Amino acid sequence: MHTALRFGLPEMEGSFEQLSLIVNIGLPILLLVVAYLIGSVIEKRHFQSIRKREDDVHGFPVVSFDTMPDDWNASSSDMVTGSIVISLDYFKRVIAGLRGLIGGRIKTYEPLLERARREALLRMTESAREQGYDAVFNVRLETSRLANAARDGKGTAGVEMLAFGTAVKLANRIG
Amino acid sequence: MKFIARKPREGINVSDEHPLVEAVTLIVGLTAIFIVIALALIFIIEVALFFVPEKTEAELFSGWIPDDLVTVSPADERLEQTQRLVERLAGHWAETPYEFRVEIDDSDVANAMALPGGLIIVTKGLLDQVESENELAFVLGHELGHFRNRDHLRALGRGLVLSLFFSVITGKDVANLGISATDIALRGFSREQEKKADAFGLAIVHSEYGHVNEAARLFERWDAADKNTLAIVAYLSTHPQPGDRVERLRALAERDGWRTDGQVTALGWQGR
Amino acid sequence: MNISSSPIVISNTETIPGRKIVEFYGVVTGNTVRAKHVGRDIMAGLKNIVGGELKGYTELLQDSRNEATERMIQQAQSMGANAVVNVRFATSSISQGAAELFAYGTAVRVA
Repeated sequence: MHTALRFGLPEMEGSFEQLSLIVNIGLPILLLVVAYLIGSVIEKRHFQSIRKREDDVHGFPVVSFDTMPDDWNASSSDMVTGSIVISLDYFKRVIAGLRGLIGGRIKTYEPLLERARREALLRMTESAREQGYDAVFNVRLETSRLANAARDGKGTAGVEMLAFGTAVKLANRIG
Repeated sequence: MKFIARKPREGINVSDEHPLVEAVTLIVGLTAIFIVIALALIFIIEVALFFVPEKTEAELFSGWIPDDLVTVSPADERLEQTQRLVERLAGHWAETPYEFRVEIDDSDVANAMALPGGLIIVTKGLLDQVESENELAFVLGHELGHFRNRDHLRALGRGLVLSLFFSVITGKDVANLGISATDIALRGFSREQEKKADAFGLAIVHSEYGHVNEAARLFERWDAADKNTLAIVAYLSTHPQPGDRVERLRALAERDGWRTDGQVTALGWQGR
Repeated sequence: MNISSSPIVISNTETIPGRKIVEFYGVVTGNTVRAKHVGRDIMAGLKNIVGGELKGYTELLQDSRNEATERMIQQAQSMGANAVVNVRFATSSISQGAAELFAYGTAVRVA
């Protein structure tokens, strides 16, 4: 980097340097604001959709028992999955980056993971119901991060949440 | 075992603090910490400068030319004349330890730079624009002023240390923001440096010619060419506005009783 | 919905040893995302050269695990359960330097 002292120049300063400075500071700030505003709208809508669909599937048994409860009488079964990949928006990433300096809970990521988890479970449950099953057991949850091609944000930043379990058709009604 | 469908309460896995609260706290807190650390680093650089006297610097950097310099070729006869002008001007600076060298940068933008080791770079564009030797002498004197205040080392040192600090500690996005912010904060100081260099340049010109006529012509032309500058642009500028510089120089000349009339020396290569 | 505030038992097995499940309600989860601070990073960098336990990280993940478990228990309590069975943990890294940890299980009532 070559910071030498220059003799002032109106044309050069007025156009290039001033512009590059405004771009260097203004653009990230603009992105932050946009990301925050749009991101929080998207998040709210998603949570509303999640709550509504959870109400719809309320009553459908989803458990994490390893083995099927004794009084369940299964006629057929299949593995079902539900997954979602949510992107980490710019605002959250910057805040997380700042957190990485002083440590502590990254509160901006919490709603994102909550959404991902509930959505994945919902999709699995809805898929089981659509296929005519009556319950899902041995539910497991896995998270993974999208592999960024390189550090520093080139490549996509995202979180995948996977929910999978065994869906069964029951001969008798439970609950 | 009986199955009863129940849902957990909302909000257990999510903190109910508004995200902006966290954002603002983090940004404000970290900015404060950064400013403190940046100031400490700048102070360290000042101390380091104290321990690197000009002689050592001249020895370290003698003969050094930056890699990305594209010089005019074939070598301009103006180079030789500028070199001799610099040597004459430097003669008025009693204690200079540097052996000044001049190189011409093959760029059409008018500019001049002071680099470590006594290297002065003037651009082809600058040599094309100056209309008298007095103007060129002032530009060179201004750069000599930077050498005297060791501004060139300061700028280099700061640039290096601060960008190292930021890129080690933070990721790329935040590093850019941090560097730009520090940059802007230091602009005010940079303008002060420029004012001092201007004053020195004027003094040198007076020593050489006995008057300061036409010394600031370059600024006057720039000022005339570029009349409307927004206040924000002026604030962000590393150099004072040309109009302001002309005023200050006039005031300086008046204060010290220097003549503003006198024979203007033509450039050695003019009229060809 | 009765909120139970009696102490909750958790287990990573099907049942709580010695007790019988009478009701079950559904899956409960608890998660946290934590970032380490620069100091830990630097220490870890050094340890990466010489080897040994990364105490800073051990603590960090331990705290995260406790917090995630605590939240899972809170969810169970809010459903009126008094035990969580089949508890499992999952860890993953969300971004550079931030680790997510979650705990999940099935909320039940044991007799």
